[in-house]
Amino acid sequence: MKKIVLAVGAWIAVITAAHMSLNVDWNVLLNDRLPVGKRKLNVAYIPVT
Amino acid sequence: MFQGFPEIKEALMSNKMQAGFMVAPMAIALRAQGVPIKIVYLGHRYGSAVVVRKDGPVKTFADLKGKLVAIPSRFSDERLILFRAMKVHGMKAGDFKMVEMAPPDVAGALAAKAIDAFSMGEPYPSQAEMGGFGRVLFHAREYWPDYTSCVLVVRQDVIDNRPDAVQVLVDGIARSGLWLENPSKKLNRRNHAADFVGRYYFRQDPRLLRWALTNPLDRVLYEPLTPYKKDFELIVSLMRETGVLDRYIEFEEYVDVRFAEGAMTQTEWRYEPGDDRAE
Repeated sequence: MKKIVLAVGAWIAVITAAHMSLNVDWNVLLNDRLPVGKRKLNVAYIPVT
Repeated sequence: MFQGFPEIKEALMSNKMQAGFMVAPMAIALRAQGVPIKIVYLGHRYGSAVVVRKDGPVKTFADLKGKLVAIPSRFSDERLILFRAMKVHGMKAGDFKMVEMAPPDVAGALAAKAIDAFSMGEPYPSQAEMGGFGRVLFHAREYWPDYTSCVLVVRQDVIDNRPDAVQVLVDGIARSGLWLENPSKKLNRRNHAADFVGRYYFRQDPRLLRWALTNPLDRVLYEPLTPYKKDFELIVSLMRETGVLDRYIEFEEYVDVRFAEGAMTQTEWRYEPGDDRAE
């Protein structure tokens, strides 16, 4: 039982770490937490002229 | 990166994005509806085309009668250019049907014969040409000298509270434009820009952007990017004529020219392909 719990826990940890690394834009998250005057502007665009 | 202009509009209105590139008529319409944004600069000049199937029945503009043409939005210069061409060819609204489609979908739709033509910005005309199934019927400049399409809009609260940040943004775009338009280095720099924009921003094949930026070199221009009153008065007039704007709107109401004026003394980036950083 203990081995199963450890294996599941490890698997969740790996998936969570991979998700946070691949899918979370940390620059945006950190920028959103800066005071308004210090934030970088978020500029929207689409891949077209 | 977004996939359509309506999503950019929503992101700006909800303050998820503080600035964005969108088609000029959409920015004007939003401002006319009271959305607190202003146009501060252009994204480029030219760079839109009407494309038909290479082996299809449409050989001239008049052949579009009864056909289905995709446009990015009813609030787009790509729609207005069709009306300008219609006028030249003695056609009227309703002679062909227009359908709104997200820009990344149009080349595939043309190849699959789901549409007969599209009016769109680059690199989608290039995509159809490169793919061998599309042919440019005409470039926007043929019916609209000084054509503009995408503009940079900024939320009014950002303009009011952080004008320095807006100026830095506009200065950067101005410097990039000058860098791309350097007469003696244009080809090499555009090839380099296609490479890094394709890889890191547009997530598109750099060969496609190389085609769009260099075939020919004036297919898309990045200078001058100052928003001129005469260009926008024409857009407003066409919008009213074609039923997507219900009142006249003063240029000063939807454009703030001070950032473009502030960028006029800028010089191109000091950067050559291979350098570590731009200054």
